Amino acid sequence: MLALRIFVYLVVALMAAPVLISLPVALTSAGIIRFPPEGLSLQWFLATFQDELLVQSILRSFVLALTAAIAAVAISLPCAFAIERGRLYGQTAMETLIIGPKMIPQIVLVLALLVYFEKLGLAETFLGLVVAHLIITIPFAFRTVLVSVTSLDKRLEWSSAILGAGPSRTFAEVIAPQLKTGMIAAFIFTFILSFNNVTMALFLSSIGERTLPVEMFQRMYVGGMTPAIPAISFMLALAGVVLFVALDRTVGVFKFLGGGK
Amino acid sequence: MTSAGGVLPGETPPRRRLRLGWFAFLAPLLFLLVVFFVIPLIDLLSVSFAPFTGGPRGEAGEFTLANYAKILGDPFYLQMMWNSVQLGVYSTVFALLIGYAVAFYLSRTSGWERTLISVACILPIFVNVIVGILGWYILLLPFGVFQQALTALGLIDGPLRWLRSFWALVAVLTWEHLPFAILILVSSLQHVPADKIAAARIAGASNFQILRTVLLPLTMPGIVASAILVFSLSVSSYLVPILIAGPRAQVIPLSIFSFASELLNWPMASALAFLLLIVVAVITYAFIALTNRLTRRGEWEMV
Repeated sequence: MLALRIFVYLVVALMAAPVLISLPVALTSAGIIRFPPEGLSLQWFLATFQDELLVQSILRSFVLALTAAIAAVAISLPCAFAIERGRLYGQTAMETLIIGPKMIPQIVLVLALLVYFEKLGLAETFLGLVVAHLIITIPFAFRTVLVSVTSLDKRLEWSSAILGAGPSRTFAEVIAPQLKTGMIAAFIFTFILSFNNVTMALFLSSIGERTLPVEMFQRMYVGGMTPAIPAISFMLALAGVVLFVALDRTVGVFKFLGGGK
Repeated sequence: MTSAGGVLPGETPPRRRLRLGWFAFLAPLLFLLVVFFVIPLIDLLSVSFAPFTGGPRGEAGEFTLANYAKILGDPFYLQMMWNSVQLGVYSTVFALLIGYAVAFYLSRTSGWERTLISVACILPIFVNVIVGILGWYILLLPFGVFQQALTALGLIDGPLRWLRSFWALVAVLTWEHLPFAILILVSSLQHVPADKIAAARIAGASNFQILRTVLLPLTMPGIVASAILVFSLSVSSYLVPILIAGPRAQVIPLSIFSFASELLNWPMASALAFLLLIVVAVITYAFIALTNRLTRRGEWEMV
């Protein structure tokens, strides 16, 4: 058991190292990325918020993820009810279709959407990007919502009906409160997946309208890399940790994400 | 199939109307998936059979197998496919070995230790992959952190040439996809009844015997599901190869991207994409068949 423990902590260190390394590197007072940093200053953290392209890309990513997450959860919820309660013909086929976008390699899907959007005139539009993010996040939103729909306590609904509440009142006062945590978890998970997705936006967004991960990719790959990029990396990681702990403490990350990607 | 059981007693309208109602619930999502998932894939398949004549979509209405023949007849692309498959296999093996150990440990801890380990090990999902790649870049760079550490320990002498190597790719892909394996394996291990392990222990089984005869067979569905997922994600990764190995890395996703975005030859890009899809599907299927035969269980939870 001790050997396992040592191994696990070694893994923890290696998993955290690439994320944590961005902090000392970003704290430099010089203009280049180097470890150990030359001098200490917060200037690159401040520079992040003065860099108009970066700020715009952050806002764009935020709006995109927000739209995709709300739409994915809203569209998945009735569907999860229908799959769980409907006993419909072709149920397995429908479930396969819904998890399809996550079974298929993303590079194949994004190429298909690129070719198709070009035909429809959706290429390089924000709407196209929203649709693409919706398609890749739906399997996860659906799965997470389905977990909470499946774990609904039906006896409460029966009691509500026996006590004379109609279907809409039962939904509003008995079902909805039970679904709340699951919906929040699905929303947060979908938001994170969309906010962090690089591949879709890399192919589908126009040059002038990059999302944050694409802007970071461009600076790393094409040029314009300054310690502002590790600075924003570290802030993103911090936000990720906060979201994770919040999600874990309220609904349990493993319960809801256990279905995997 | 025909029973309306499980529906609220308060709302039991005629069965037929009920069905239509459920389909109205399903309609938006099914519409979206058919229009923006199924049709684009069919469209892409048709593009992959079009001859390339200068326009990005190729010659519409014509049918040729030339794109596929060109790829399958060219050792350059076959080598590329082999490189991609190798990357997928190695990162899957590492992610499963590491993931199983971590997931096993996680299923036996609680409190702050569990939070600490899971935060660190699930973190790659919560940040975008560029953050991780940048971090690995700084760590692996010649004169980077690893080189300084190893030199200080007296283990190496001279510059470290890890960054552009195959194993650096495997390491970063494993890093990126380990969280997915751990998520699946933890939920799989949590479903193993504690009394089965206790029974094995009372019967005198050693830790290794418990692992081999109780845990592994009972968590096989989780192992298979995470292997399939990590393999598919690693084989089709575009960002890790291009940023860690550079634009000349010979893997299929880079070639797809270059045909699609730089050469504007969509027929070749789509033929490569479908061949990648077929290779992933065949390997996945072979893997499921093999594990089925090994454990003689017919059903996997294919998530």
